Amino acid sequence: MSGDASQTESTQRLRDALADGRLEQWRVPLGLLALVVFLRPVIGHEFLLNYPPFANTILVWMLFAASFNVLLGYTGLLSFGHGMFLGFGAYGAAIGLTRFDLPFTVSAVIGLAVAAVVAYLIGRIIAQRGEIYFAMLTLAFAKAAHFIANQNYGGLTGGSTGIVGVLPSWIETERGVKYVAAGGFQFDWYYLLGAVFVLAALAIWQIARSPFGRSLVAVRENEELARAVGIDDKRYKIWSFTFSGVFAALAGVLYAINNQGSSLSTLTVETSGDIILMTVLGGANYFFGPLAGVFVWLFSEEFLIEFETLVLPLAEYPLVRIELGGLLSYWQFFLGLLFVISVLVAPREGLWGLFRSGIGGLYDRVRGVRE
Amino acid sequence: MSDTATTARSADVVLETEGLTKQFGGLTALEHVDLAVERGELHAIIGPNGAGKTTLFNTITGALDPTAGTVWFDGEDVTEMAQEKRPHRGLARSFQSNQLFADLSVLENVRIVVQTARSGRFGLDLLGNGRAKYRDAAFEYLERVGLDGERTTLAKNLSHGDQRRLGIAISLATDPSVLLLDEPTSGMGPTETQETADMIDELQQDLDLTVLLIEHDMDIVLSMSDRITVLNQGEVLATDSPGAIQENEDVQNAYLGGMREEL
Amino acid sequence: MDGIGIQTLDRDALPISPGELVTSLVLFVLLAHAFAVRPGLFVDQLVGGLVYGLILVLVALGLSIILGLLGVVNFAHGAFFMMGAYLTFQVLTVWGLPFWATLFVVPVVVGLVGIVIERGVLQFVYDEDPLIGLLATFGIALMIDEATRAIWGGSPLSVTTPQILDSSIGIGVTTIARMRLFSVLVSVVVIVAVYLLIERTDFGLSVRAGVLDREMAEFVGVNIPLRFVVMFFIGAAIAGLGGVLRGAELGMDLSMGNQFIILAFVVVVVGGVGSLFGSVVSGILIGEATFLTPLVLRTLSETTNVAALNVSGIGGLMPFLVMIVVLLVRPRGLFGQEGFME
Repeated sequence: MSGDASQTESTQRLRDALADGRLEQWRVPLGLLALVVFLRPVIGHEFLLNYPPFANTILVWMLFAASFNVLLGYTGLLSFGHGMFLGFGAYGAAIGLTRFDLPFTVSAVIGLAVAAVVAYLIGRIIAQRGEIYFAMLTLAFAKAAHFIANQNYGGLTGGSTGIVGVLPSWIETERGVKYVAAGGFQFDWYYLLGAVFVLAALAIWQIARSPFGRSLVAVRENEELARAVGIDDKRYKIWSFTFSGVFAALAGVLYAINNQGSSLSTLTVETSGDIILMTVLGGANYFFGPLAGVFVWLFSEEFLIEFETLVLPLAEYPLVRIELGGLLSYWQFFLGLLFVISVLVAPREGLWGLFRSGIGGLYDRVRGVRE
Repeated sequence: MSDTATTARSADVVLETEGLTKQFGGLTALEHVDLAVERGELHAIIGPNGAGKTTLFNTITGALDPTAGTVWFDGEDVTEMAQEKRPHRGLARSFQSNQLFADLSVLENVRIVVQTARSGRFGLDLLGNGRAKYRDAAFEYLERVGLDGERTTLAKNLSHGDQRRLGIAISLATDPSVLLLDEPTSGMGPTETQETADMIDELQQDLDLTVLLIEHDMDIVLSMSDRITVLNQGEVLATDSPGAIQENEDVQNAYLGGMREEL
Repeated sequence: MDGIGIQTLDRDALPISPGELVTSLVLFVLLAHAFAVRPGLFVDQLVGGLVYGLILVLVALGLSIILGLLGVVNFAHGAFFMMGAYLTFQVLTVWGLPFWATLFVVPVVVGLVGIVIERGVLQFVYDEDPLIGLLATFGIALMIDEATRAIWGGSPLSVTTPQILDSSIGIGVTTIARMRLFSVLVSVVVIVAVYLLIERTDFGLSVRAGVLDREMAEFVGVNIPLRFVVMFFIGAAIAGLGGVLRGAELGMDLSMGNQFIILAFVVVVVGGVGSLFGSVVSGILIGEATFLTPLVLRTLSETTNVAALNVSGIGGLMPFLVMIVVLLVRPRGLFGQEGFME
């Protein structure tokens, strides 16, 4: 009997630790480190993509998705125009560097500041309205930003070509691979990118687990109740939007280095839509969900493109090629289908939720066998 | 108008409405409701379905803007005050339907509210582990309503009665001086109803609360209340002691008669 | 939740303040100036803005009806519009049917696709968080985009309009293409028909009752799901008709769905959610603002010799500028009602 009691007590202690996030304290930072350490060898493996630099692109998008999830996952707000903030970061860095000859870091900080101010102001105008308004109005603002960049006012944004061939002085490229060269040292750009990524993702995670972040969760869970117990939901939404925008802009700054400039595609509806698809498919409910979504999405996309280029030498058999080309367009169609189904069945769970419940089920079964 | 009201308001009255009116389109849900709740009393609101009881709560707490009239709380005109400010002044409510943070643990439901009560409507507190802050204080509220054993259960997985108790714990965690309870025993069996009534009684003594209660169970209302206000079709029919209300002919005709017919 | 068309015209909603009076006067002077300097171009743009605005209204009407009735922003509504344009190509060029046939065939087909989507997906999200419906229809829009690309290819297409609509009518200062006049005529007829259906028929009355209180309406014997299906069909069909008119005049491409869903939502927001009349006014307002503002600024820049006034591409920005101004001045939109979708 006493053994029973001590077991329930220890189970309760474990539950407590799970519930108040004490375990996360180690799980998330270690998980992020492991991600950065293992991503590149996996991506670079010859049986997979065989192209290590693609890990850079994945990390940039992962940061973008993590920033977006502050809004969607933790606050329950959907932005259809988040590419706008990615663009502010990328354009800010590229414009400062090329048009005003500012140091890269200064340009980057300006880009982040612009993103923060714009996000705050847009938030002030639209946060007090319902979530549908929020989604559609962010879309409208993003569309306006795209339009302005495309018009190339004052020759700042470079119109539809964007700003190309931009790199900070401390980045060198050699056969398509970027290196950071500082004070006599030279190391792969991936390590700096990885360090910035881990720090930024940790900052996002800390925001989410802080008392501020818990208030966001309360707003997400039940806005009406949150207001009734004294939470100023509007201000939390505005600040959530601001933080989310700033971190998206940071992803944009990294994008500018990674892509050697800024392209108009950052501001398109497609970019904003992709990040929604990746985040929801990955699982907005979890910190690692959106990151998993980015990985699966970009990996499959790249893998499929690889598939088609592999077939290209067989151009003398046109039938084969057409079939595969068709498969590619259908892939997007079925992706949409998968997305619709996952939204209808379990909108917040996604692949990561599936993965976790799989692990949980396995754990339960193992324990069941032991008992 | 307001002059007479000012003189009429005595120090004992902590919550008062004056000419409170709420219209939805052409429909009048509240018609010139005057209500005075005295400090420390348990004041019940009764009336048939659609009498405007919940609308009255919603306009008092600021979830709805009244079409006309004034709400006074602690001698202050709070009619225009933002809803989220009122809990910080000591005006709290529980909901009729189970309004909870459904996907969060029982403890976290209460902890977030304690955090809000202690650190204000808004705060950019970005450091530390939010879920560890104010845990102990939140736990005390759970003990008070008898939910300490369920602290890690998700709110949506609680039994109906436990969800109602959690709702009360949430309202308590705002540290109120006046508590508006909207049908705290609805959907409960006789035993649970009596337990909840006893709990409310105990809380009121321990925490020095003023309670405004909407309740359907007439036994509970008659045994617990200091005073009763009867609403009918958005208007106040009478406000009096339980005994006097039972004797009141208007009330018998409009309400108790109607109830008998329903039964 | 006040419903669509409950309050189609509320004169009290637009009191004229001194500030608004001055703004109107300035606008009038600017427009008169543009007209005086370039009368032909002015009329061209005026008609262009009307055609564009009315097509926006056609898309926005369906969006607004579905939003009002079902509480769902149908992101796939722009895809209906695009589908209408591509089906015009299919019916006219591939099947070789006359242009008049497209006006009937295309809306019916698009409406049927709408019904499939309503029954297959949307009926499951009515009682959910509104975000779920938005996300689900976003996925559907993606599927329709990809299906369109697979069927008709990625490059822009166009159709030839019948000869009778090909010529122009001279009106002194300029000429107006018959196709444009035809577009205006068809749009106006459809808009009036929708208005009459919702405001003047028993069917419209029962639909409005369903919006106000679904349970009550079902209780008194109204078949609400059936009415939702019918309204969804109508909403999708008029978006498809908008696609026919747009496609016949300017051709079709894959970006038009996304472009018009955004603009249609801007129209709904500016007009005020829940007001059909507001959508009509704001659609035309935004259409005219898009077409007339560049001309006004250009003539002003020529008269004053200030080149900076002639902002390139200002037309495309106008919908968003109008929206931001309206949201700041009248957060509920021009004819919006309290508490709707807030």
